[in-house]
Formats: sequence, C-alpha cells, structure tokens
Amino acid sequence: MNVTREEAAKALDDINRASDRVVQLKGYHHGAPHFIIWGLVWLGANSATYFIPGSDKYAWPAALAFGFVASMIAGILQSRKWPRGRHASAAERRFGYRMGMTAAVVMAFIVCITLIAQPSTSREINAMISIIFPFLYIAGGIWAGWRLLAIGLVTAAAIMIGFYWLPDHFDLWMGLFGGGSLIAGGIWLRTA
Amino acid sequence: MEGPDEIIHQSTRLRIAATLNALPSGELLEFGKLKSILGATDGNMATHLGALEKAGYIAVEKDFVGKKPRTRVSLTRAGRKAFERHVAYLRDLLNGGG
Repeated sequence: MNVTREEAAKALDDINRASDRVVQLKGYHHGAPHFIIWGLVWLGANSATYFIPGSDKYAWPAALAFGFVASMIAGILQSRKWPRGRHASAAERRFGYRMGMTAAVVMAFIVCITLIAQPSTSREINAMISIIFPFLYIAGGIWAGWRLLAIGLVTAAAIMIGFYWLPDHFDLWMGLFGGGSLIAGGIWLRTA
Repeated sequence: MEGPDEIIHQSTRLRIAATLNALPSGELLEFGKLKSILGATDGNMATHLGALEKAGYIAVEKDFVGKKPRTRVSLTRAGRKAFERHVAYLRDLLNGGG
C-alpha cells in the first residue's frame, strides 16, 4: 500500500478535525449542567423579586448560594468521570480548576464594576450584572463553538429588550427569558 | 519507518479511530453520536465498525436502556497503539521520512 504525501496531509487534517470536534462536544457537555443551574438561579430569584415585593434581599443570596453549591457539585461529579493517570484526563481536571478560578475573577470584576458605576435602581443593577455573562458566552463561543455564541446573543438581546421596553416587568422578563434562555441553552448543548 | 496500517488508513475508519482516540481510555461513545460526529450513514458506519472490530481495534458493547437498544464503541488498547503508529507514519512521511 502506497500513501502519497498529499494523502498523508489530508489524513492528518481529518484526524485533527475529528479530535477538535470531540473536544468541542466535551466542552458543550461539561458546560450544559452549569447553564441549566444558573438558568434556574436567574429564573427563581427574578421571579421571586417580581411576585413577592421585598423578597430580593433573601431570594438573591439564597439563589446564588444554591448556584455556587450546585455548580461545584456538578463540577466534582464531572471530574470523577475522568479516569486518573492519563495526560488528557489530568489536563481536563486542570480545566475544571481553572473554570472555578475564572468564575472567582468574574465575580471580583462584577463587584468592582458595581462599585465604580454605582447603578441607582435594582433594575440597573440587575441588567448591568446580568449583561456581563452573555457577552462572556459570545466571546467564549468565538473560540469554543457557535452554540455558545448563539446562547450569548439571544440572552444579551433578551436583557436589552427587557431593560428598554419592559421596565415595569423587567424582573419577570429576566426570569423567563434570561433564565429560560440559559436553561434552554443548557439542554441544547446536551443534545449536541 | 513502519508502513501504513491498511485497516486504519481508510478515510472513515481513520476518522472513527481519531474520534475514539480523543476520548479517555475505555470511554464508550454511542453509535448515534459517533455517526453524527462523522456525518456518516448507518450502513457505512456498520461496515467500517465491523472491519475495525474484526481487527481488534475497537470494542462494541450492546445493551438496553429501558426497552431501547443501545450500541456503544470504544478504542481498544491495540486500536490505540495502531492509531498512534499510523499517525507517526503519516507524520514521518510528511517530514520527508518516506
């Protein structure tokens, strides 16, 4: 059997593409539960704020605590699926730790930007903090895959529409469309 | 330099091996997921998976989830070694070793 240099180059290109596709799918599957968890946080906290006036003081801390704990558990369960001892698995576990540290950096950024901008209404605070995440998804989607980019675009559009056109029902809008788009996005990533 | 692996070199089989090789050792991939990653047909997939299984390069596991049949495949240790050897051969060829 003779293999030409052109055939070898094409074969290596096919191999790289197949490997890249697997890495992309694994990224989608690792991200999916976190999208669903944070979609539920958004849905729950915003809905409570809308339907029970004054509940935002305890609804948001409770929802955020749920989000962090649930995300941590999901991350631990995912890391247990990866067998130890192989180079690729070690890299994947490092990826999990780096994701956790990235979340901490984003939280620090949100605290700083809130202190600097000092939004005056709860609607402004909600919109300003919420809009950061879809743009992270859009930026991440440019590198990781179009599904993540699409989730970011839809969520960012939902936040802007609600902020300008539905100020009186903004919390409900954010719960249904902001949280809903994340939950639907997470389910969509699972099916990839 | 070792020669090419004739079983793995065929385009669809090469992509099947590359996809399974990108997974952690022993991890199983569902037939339907593999088919969708490769954009192949049922018949085409079955033929090439059969050839790889006959060579001992992949393991095929069939079971039921509820009442639904499920087929999952993984790359065997022999398959992983054969794939790595074949990739090394292709790289050598490109680097002027052939």
